[in-house]
Amino acid sequence: MRAVASPATGDAGFAVPAARGTWRPWLLVAPLLAFLAAFFLVPLGQVLVMSVTDPEPGFGHFVAIATDGFFLRVLAQTFATALLVAVLTLLLGFPLAYAMAEAGPRMAALMMVLVTMSFWTSFLVRTYAWMVILGKSGPIAWLSATLLGGAPPELLFTRFSSTLAMVHILIPYMVLSLYAALRRIEPAVLRSAASLGAPPVSVFRHVILPLAAPGVVNGLTLVFVLCLGFYVTPVLIGSPREQMIAGVIGHQVEEFLAFGEASALSVVLLASTMIVLGVYHRRFGLDRLWG
Amino acid sequence: MERTTASATRLTRRAAFSLGGGLALSIPAFRRLRAAETLFVNTWGGPWERAAAKHLFEPFTRETGADIRPVSPVSFAKLAAQVRSGAYEFDVTTLGLAELVRAHRANLLESLDSLKDRVNWRGGLYLNGVASHAFATVLAWNQQKYGDAPRTWKDFWDLARFPGSRCLQRYAARVLPIALAGDGVPTDKLYPLDIERAFRALDRIKPSLRVWWTQGQQSAQLLRDGEVDMIGIWHGRVIELMDDNKPVTMTWEGGQIDRAYWVVARGTPRRDLARRFVEAAVQPERLAGFCKEALYGPLNPNSFAYVSEADAVRMPTSPQNYPKVFEQDIENFGGDVTQVTSRFERWVGA
Repeated sequence: MRAVASPATGDAGFAVPAARGTWRPWLLVAPLLAFLAAFFLVPLGQVLVMSVTDPEPGFGHFVAIATDGFFLRVLAQTFATALLVAVLTLLLGFPLAYAMAEAGPRMAALMMVLVTMSFWTSFLVRTYAWMVILGKSGPIAWLSATLLGGAPPELLFTRFSSTLAMVHILIPYMVLSLYAALRRIEPAVLRSAASLGAPPVSVFRHVILPLAAPGVVNGLTLVFVLCLGFYVTPVLIGSPREQMIAGVIGHQVEEFLAFGEASALSVVLLASTMIVLGVYHRRFGLDRLWG
Repeated sequence: MERTTASATRLTRRAAFSLGGGLALSIPAFRRLRAAETLFVNTWGGPWERAAAKHLFEPFTRETGADIRPVSPVSFAKLAAQVRSGAYEFDVTTLGLAELVRAHRANLLESLDSLKDRVNWRGGLYLNGVASHAFATVLAWNQQKYGDAPRTWKDFWDLARFPGSRCLQRYAARVLPIALAGDGVPTDKLYPLDIERAFRALDRIKPSLRVWWTQGQQSAQLLRDGEVDMIGIWHGRVIELMDDNKPVTMTWEGGQIDRAYWVVARGTPRRDLARRFVEAAVQPERLAGFCKEALYGPLNPNSFAYVSEADAVRMPTSPQNYPKVFEQDIENFGGDVTQVTSRFERWVGA
C-alpha cells in the first residue's frame, strides 16, 4: 500500500550503489548485525542448546512440559490472558483512535502526547502506580469506603488487577496501530457513503471497519505477542493462582536452578510467539506490522 | 580534574555513606589501593549494604588495602551460573542454610577449611560456609485490626478468632515448618517435617492467603499499607516499621531462625582475599556493629560482648529471645527439598 521509492525512479545518488554491487549497503548494517549476533543470537542459541542438553541430552523437558498438567495449564492461562488483553485493548482503544483520527490537528497532537506519555513511562513504574491506586489505602478504596461504607474491596492480587494493568500498559500499541489505519481512510469516501444515504451506523460497519481492519489485526497481533511474555506485572499484582509462563520460567531458574527446564519453557514460549507471527506473516506480511 | 575514574567512584561511594571523616581517610587509603586488589562482594543493597560497608568493608580495606566493590542483587542462580561460565561478577556472597546445602551439593563453593582454627565456635563453619548472622521469620500483624491478641502461629491459622487476610513468603522450606506449628506441632518436634500434614494445614487457610511475598521490601509494604492483616515476615522489616511508629507489631514466639553464611564462589581467581574477607567479617566487634545496624542477630557468640541490652532485645539470637525461636533443620528436613519446593509451587499456583 505504501509508496516505496524504487532504485530506478528514486534519487540517482542512492540508486548507484545498488547497481554496482549488492554487498556495500550491508556494511551499514554490519555493526547492528554483529551486536545482535553477539548479544541476542548467541545467547538464544545457548538457550536452545540447553533445552535439550541440560542436565542430560534428549527431549525430556519437552515431553515433561507436554504431559505435565501444571505447565499446560500455565500455558493455556498465558494464551487466554493475552487474548483477553488484546480484545480489551481493541474495545477500549478503538474509540480513542477514532477520536484521534477525527480530531483537529491540535487536539490530535494533544491526544497523541497523552497516549505516548504513558508509553514512555517505565512499565515497572506503571505497575507500581496501579498498586497504589488499587491498594487498600488508595483512592478507590477510599471512595468505596466513603460512598458505600464497609470494608474496602480487595482489588489487588486478582485477575482483575493484573489484566487492568496489562491493558493499560499495552493500549498505546493498539491505539497507534488503529490510528495509523484510520488516518489513511479518505474523508471523501465517508462523505460519499453518507451522501448516498448510508446512516452513520452503516458507514461505520461497511466502510470504516473494513478499511480499519489491517490496523485491528496489527494491534491485536502486537498486543497478543507482547502480552505472552509479560513477567513483572502479573508477578507483582496478579493472583498467585493465575501465573503467566514468563513468571514460571523465572521461578524455575531462581528457585530450582532448572536451567534446562526453564530453557525448554522459553523455547515453547518463543515457538508459540513465532507461530502467531508466522500466521500473521502468511496472511498479511510481517513488514506491515509496525504500520 | 586529574583524578582517575576509579578515584571518582570511590569518592562518590564515600560521600554516599556520609561518613564523617570518610573523605579524609579515603585519600591516603586510595593511594595505597591503586595497585591493590579488588574484591567483589554480593550484597542485598540498601541499608544492608550501608551497614556492611561501614562495619565490614571499610575496616577490611583499612586493614588490607584491598578495595571492596559491592554487587547487587543477591542471586543464587547467578552464583551457579558464574561457576559454570567462569566469569565472576562476585567472589563472596551470603547464603541461607537451604541454599548453602544446595550450593554445597552442586559443588559451587570454595573450601573454607583453612579458617577452622579461627572460626571455632559451635556451628561456625558448616559445609564451606561461615555462619555470620541470623534473622527470624516472625508472626506480625496489623494492630488496628487485632490489637495485641495473636500470640502464636496457631492464631495465624485460627480464622474464626482472627478473620482477615494472611500472607507468607513464597518459600517452601520456611513455610512448611510454620504450617506445622500453626497446626499445633510443638516447635521442638517440627523436624523431620510431616509434609502431608503441612500441606493439609495450608489448604485450610489457602482462601485467606491473598498474596505471597517474594521480596523483603514487598512484605513490609503489604503489612504497612494494611493490604494483609497477618503476615509471616522477617523480624528486621517489622522492627523498621515499628521504629517508624506504624501500627504493626510482632512476637518472637515461634520465630524461625534463618542463618546467613558467608561463602566463596568456587574457582574465583581472588579466593585468598575472599577467604581473608570472610574471616574478618565474623570478627566479634565488627559483626556486632553490622548486626545492630542491619537488624540481625550475630551467630558468633562472642559478639554479644559488644551488644547493649537495648539492642539485644531486637535480636533473634540474643540470650533473652533465642529460647522462643526455633532453628531450621535442612539436613533432617523430612523430604527432598527440591521436590517439596516444586510441589509447593504447584500448590500455590493451583
